[in-house]
Amino acid sequence: MRAFFTLLKKEIASYFLSPIAYVMIIFFLVVMGFSFWLLVSILVQGSISATIMNELFGSIFFWIAMLIVVPVLTMRLIAEENRSGTIETLMTAPVSDTEVVLAKYVGALVFFVLMWLPTAVYALVLRRFSPLTAPMDFGPMFSGYLGATLVGAFYISIGLFCSALTRNQIVAAISCFALINLAFISGFLAYVGRDEIVRNVGAYISSVEYMRDFGRGALDSRAIVFHLSGAAFMLFATVKVVESRKWK
Amino acid sequence: MDDVSFEVARGEIVGLLGPNGAGKTTTMRILTCFFPATAGRVTIAGFDVFTQSMEVRRRIGYMPENVPLYPEMRVDEYLRFRAQLKGVRGRNIRRRVQEVKELCGLEDVGRRIIGQLSKGYRQRTGLAEALVHDPELLILDEPTIGLDPNQIRQVRGLIRELAQRHTILLSSHILPEVEMTCRRVLILKAGRIVASDTPENLHARLEGRARVIVELRGPSEEAGARLRGLAGVQGVQVENAGGEWVRFTMECARDRDVRAEVFTAAASAGWTLRELRAEATSLEDVFVSLTRGEGGAS
Repeated sequence: MRAFFTLLKKEIASYFLSPIAYVMIIFFLVVMGFSFWLLVSILVQGSISATIMNELFGSIFFWIAMLIVVPVLTMRLIAEENRSGTIETLMTAPVSDTEVVLAKYVGALVFFVLMWLPTAVYALVLRRFSPLTAPMDFGPMFSGYLGATLVGAFYISIGLFCSALTRNQIVAAISCFALINLAFISGFLAYVGRDEIVRNVGAYISSVEYMRDFGRGALDSRAIVFHLSGAAFMLFATVKVVESRKWK
Repeated sequence: MDDVSFEVARGEIVGLLGPNGAGKTTTMRILTCFFPATAGRVTIAGFDVFTQSMEVRRRIGYMPENVPLYPEMRVDEYLRFRAQLKGVRGRNIRRRVQEVKELCGLEDVGRRIIGQLSKGYRQRTGLAEALVHDPELLILDEPTIGLDPNQIRQVRGLIRELAQRHTILLSSHILPEVEMTCRRVLILKAGRIVASDTPENLHARLEGRARVIVELRGPSEEAGARLRGLAGVQGVQVENAGGEWVRFTMECARDRDVRAEVFTAAASAGWTLRELRAEATSLEDVFVSLTRGEGGAS
């Protein structure tokens, strides 16, 4: 456990030592800021306030940001250790493969959550300046953030898996992008599936649908189970990939 | 790797020597628990590297080839991180980091970013890292590769100093290095150990055969037959040395000096002699003869 926290600290610190992280934060906040501007311009027209959080958490901008930010945040994690050879010093220290993978995962997730933090300002702005009588609810806001974290938890585990497969960061980023796109798009089976069964499965794996629910303030246990079990599976696969060097 | 078996006693410095691709790095990776051997057993300080990997890892310091480091970290940061990871606790971290920095001459670069250090300093940082938890066994893969002659000398000196407190296993394909730093040499070839001895004994093994170089002007076949006929000569190689000159490389028994007889033979036949000398053998000859697989192998 001690080794885990030592590694975690190093992982989080190394995000802040690399320029990519800052570029990503800026990109993310610009996209979310634009999304917020759209939301405000809708409110100005005197629209209803029931689903305002949907504009932040269910909009296309949210997904653009997710699909681009996650591969860039995760591509370096293991691929860079493979490339530079530090994997050798890391894995010959008294730490287990699982500890290393979990520390990298939690580190990326913590950074992801930190990246979201500044957007909390939007809620305060709305509360302070909205002319509506019931300006906004913290409920949907909370569930929106929870949903974003769940989707992030799942996607980051996919990114970590891709990073473990290669020693090339670009390959890691592109394969991660392809996989999370697949996960994202297969959610649309809920609409385009011909079969009743396909549509049902599509609805179950549709992160987009789940995010809409979260944006409305609905906590859906299926979403929690789906994203967390997805993440657990990908982490398991990542540990196996890292261990594969030891296979006889 | 094929049937490699060796022991390193506490306090020994052992050099693994072999041409590129002989299996030096593979051996070290197995020892350091990076990956397991497909067959066979390795124990370090009484712990099996496969089943008691964590115990082994706590007791070894490993510096891989090309010294991988995190270029974005500072030297102090890196050493502190590694010390913590390797189980150094609390107040000891600061003390150990300070000690290894002094030992490796890193006092002035603690605040520098590793990526901006010269190769020599990076090498020392790697060595300091390997030492930071005060391991019983140090495993160094090509510790002086890519350094300039001054830095090589410094690193060698450092290794000799460390030998007083630690057991050291180092690999190299540079002979003088092993010759100068190690008390025992293991020569690997294509995954097999072809020799394991002190540098002195390895010398002696080749010195069993002395080599005499002869250059003379005369009929090569006749002269060759004549030289071969001398007592104690085990083999003669003939090559043309330009014009009528012929060069003979004679392998002789060590206890016989055939030079005087060569001279008499040449004089009596009327061949003009322009070179006659005994050649000293070096560890390089041992290495070459062992790793090429011609004669000389145990």
